[in-house]
Amino acid sequence: MKRQRLRFKLLAVFLFLLFGALAVYGSYSVLTYGNRWFSSIRNPRVRTQREQVIPGDILDTDGVVLASTDPEGNRRYAEDPAVRRALVHLVGDRQGHVSNGVETFQTSYLYGFQASLLDQVGDLLAGNARTGDSVQLTVSAPLTAALADAFRQHETTAGKPAAAVILNWKTGAVAALTSLPSFDPEDIGGTVDAGDKAFWNRVTQARIPPGSTFKIVTAASALDHLPQAREVTVTCSTDVLDFGGHTIGDYGGEAHGTVDLRSAFTQSCNKMFATLAMNLGAGDLRQTAEQFGFNDNFLFRDLVVENSSFPERIGSDYELAACGFGQSSITATPLHLCMIAAGVANGGVMMEPRLLQRVTSASGSQRLGFSSAEYRTCMSPETAALLGEYMRGAVTGGTGWRAAVPGLTVCGKTGTADSTDGGEPIVYGWFAGYIADEELPYAIAVVVEGLDSGTTGGSTAALVAHDAFLWLRDHRPDAP
Amino acid sequence: MSRKRQSESVRRAGRSLVAAVMLFFFSAFLLLALRDNAWQGYALAAAVPAMVWLGTYLLPRLIGGDRLLLSLTNFLCALGVLVLYDTNPAYAYHQVIAYGVGLAAMTLCIRAVQWFSSWRLLILLMAPVSLVLLALPLVFGREIYGARNWLFVGGISVQPSEIVKISLLIILARAMSRRRFWFWSLFVVACLGLLMLQKDLGTALLYFSVALLMYYAATGSLWVLAAGAAGGTGAALLGYRMFAHVKRRVAIWRNPWADYDNAGYQLVQGLMAIASGGLWGVGLGLGSPRTIPVYHTDFIFAVICEQFGLIFGLCVLAMYVALAWRGATIAMGASHSFHGLLAMGATLMLGLQTFVIIGGVLKLIPLTGVTMPFVSYGGSSLVSSMCLVGLIQGVASRNEDDLAEDTRLALAQEEVGL
Repeated sequence: MKRQRLRFKLLAVFLFLLFGALAVYGSYSVLTYGNRWFSSIRNPRVRTQREQVIPGDILDTDGVVLASTDPEGNRRYAEDPAVRRALVHLVGDRQGHVSNGVETFQTSYLYGFQASLLDQVGDLLAGNARTGDSVQLTVSAPLTAALADAFRQHETTAGKPAAAVILNWKTGAVAALTSLPSFDPEDIGGTVDAGDKAFWNRVTQARIPPGSTFKIVTAASALDHLPQAREVTVTCSTDVLDFGGHTIGDYGGEAHGTVDLRSAFTQSCNKMFATLAMNLGAGDLRQTAEQFGFNDNFLFRDLVVENSSFPERIGSDYELAACGFGQSSITATPLHLCMIAAGVANGGVMMEPRLLQRVTSASGSQRLGFSSAEYRTCMSPETAALLGEYMRGAVTGGTGWRAAVPGLTVCGKTGTADSTDGGEPIVYGWFAGYIADEELPYAIAVVVEGLDSGTTGGSTAALVAHDAFLWLRDHRPDAP
Repeated sequence: MSRKRQSESVRRAGRSLVAAVMLFFFSAFLLLALRDNAWQGYALAAAVPAMVWLGTYLLPRLIGGDRLLLSLTNFLCALGVLVLYDTNPAYAYHQVIAYGVGLAAMTLCIRAVQWFSSWRLLILLMAPVSLVLLALPLVFGREIYGARNWLFVGGISVQPSEIVKISLLIILARAMSRRRFWFWSLFVVACLGLLMLQKDLGTALLYFSVALLMYYAATGSLWVLAAGAAGGTGAALLGYRMFAHVKRRVAIWRNPWADYDNAGYQLVQGLMAIASGGLWGVGLGLGSPRTIPVYHTDFIFAVICEQFGLIFGLCVLAMYVALAWRGATIAMGASHSFHGLLAMGATLMLGLQTFVIIGGVLKLIPLTGVTMPFVSYGGSSLVSSMCLVGLIQGVASRNEDDLAEDTRLALAQEEVGL
């Protein structure tokens, strides 16, 4: 009987553990994913509320109206068509064609789900229709419009699908975000059957091979794991590295001569980074990549971002070598690459991207203010400083020279990545960089899809980044 | 004297608890009645608190029983009626009748454990009847939600597996306390086989786990526990390989959003409801609980979370934990192996069933369609859950009698010694 009692106790403990698991898992998942579940376009509660509540306004950082509701109850978007189109993927549209735009993802504020009982009773007594909270974003409408326009100004980028994002590298605030092709939320008609994925927010949803911009990660890994990293030299001739049938060469069959890590970075020498990846091994390179956020489940509070991936299993030496310069099956979103550039600028600390500057209730009281949070530390300040020098070198005398702006300390890395889209080869041009200036702390990532032959990230994306930097230099915005 | 004073203060606390619970349900039903302006609502506002009073206050005075268990059980039952009245009044009328029947059945179970000293005859009768009951739906039943586990008698539908639960527990507790394993393990296998034929996999899983854990409690044989667990896992894997619908269930569990308009619809709607409730809930009578499929049975926990909030949902979980804790304490206090196993078995049955359904709704484990004890709509389930509590209570009052007997004997001895 005594032993039986002991076993009863064990079984009771077992039951308690099961219930503990329920409570912990339930609270964890509701607290982390709750808003994502709730704001889903499939949630019938949101649909009902939409018929009863006047949604609040969406404003940019300076108070430019991005979305509002007119007296007839129709949702209206920014007055300036250029702003409307440039920000449509960030703001969203009334039908929810764009997934997780502010219009849908911030439903709980815009449609007054956060309103207290007191507010609701007050509205009821006053006979007012219920109005949701207004949401002010950290983005600058003119900057975003200029950014979207920059793509049209260059022959090499005009008309191509593209995406660009600017973050404040100190706080993580999104200063601009645009995706092309765009559409006009006031006139959706023709877009619905357009097969060009116009509703797709390429900044947060496109998972693209990062190409040579990934060399930032490989270089950080080498600096951390290989004691001799800065002394290693590779003689880069026009010969290709042969991996039993697969070959690795440099873009356009260039030869860089004898290069060390710094010059290989500024000249974007694939052979050097293939060699580094081989020396590092899959384990160390993956570890660094994961420190930078690859393979992490991004659960940012203000933005829904596709996860970036670094292969869990690398089958061959060729694959490993290709990982060194961001090919193989590595993918990342433009937003993540911007976070990586921002991490270099911020001494190795990546900030969580934030979008909400202020949420104000209909009666004018502040419900939420801006707050910044660290995402994670991806490298030591020393490594970050060294990488910053390399990225500076790539702009002053390397592949990223077109991004340079007089009067600004621009740092960056270009990339030209090969991929396939439904069997068709497709080339992406990248630029990820930042302004090394505490007073103008902005990082940018630009990607252009389907490059013409003969063009590279340096001759496409870097041009757009240049224009954005120029705008920032001339306007010096003081966004959060 | 101090003991007396303590029990007096406990009784007073108990009285105010009953009063608070009655007030809660009275105001809740009144609110809904005012919303609908239906006489049934006012009737329930009077009837449900009265039943709570009957169950938690009067019953222990008349026939004894454990006050904590009774408070928890009655609260959960009344909560079920409340949520059902809000979502679908017709269900609530059935449920409140079942609640009344459940109170009577519970009393019967308490009495049975108090009175019966030999269960032999009863068990010899129960075993074949149980098997016949489980086989009946296969012959006469209709398929509902993919399982053939209902029986229709006159206008009433009965789920035999709920009734058999009680007899299974009594049979197992007796077999194990008397070390008669082999013959009765055949009985369990026969029950499981019939449940599989009914395609009621959730209940089969429940029967199997309870039988296994009771065997462990009786013998302490870790080998058999491990072998049983391995066998269960093996059977689950085999089922996964063999049956497409099991594979589908697992796929839905891993990512319900992949096909949220069809296969994952239930789970996704449940999660949305829980998320919409937030920490404090949207409030009783508000929200859109009816958009959750099977909101009245499998997903009633999601309805509770939407209306009352996540924190209240966690409190409901805590009530089941308190129930299980009380059940285990009573089992540990039993002086006969049979009574201990009976109370522990009933506790395990209730605890595991709650875990399986809430875990399924919260997406911790794949969803299997069992009811949430006391709360889910369903007369068979409610009555059977209350019978389980009745068995535990019967054991509790046995324990009290034994304790009193021991004290009396000890006192008598002392007197003789003097």
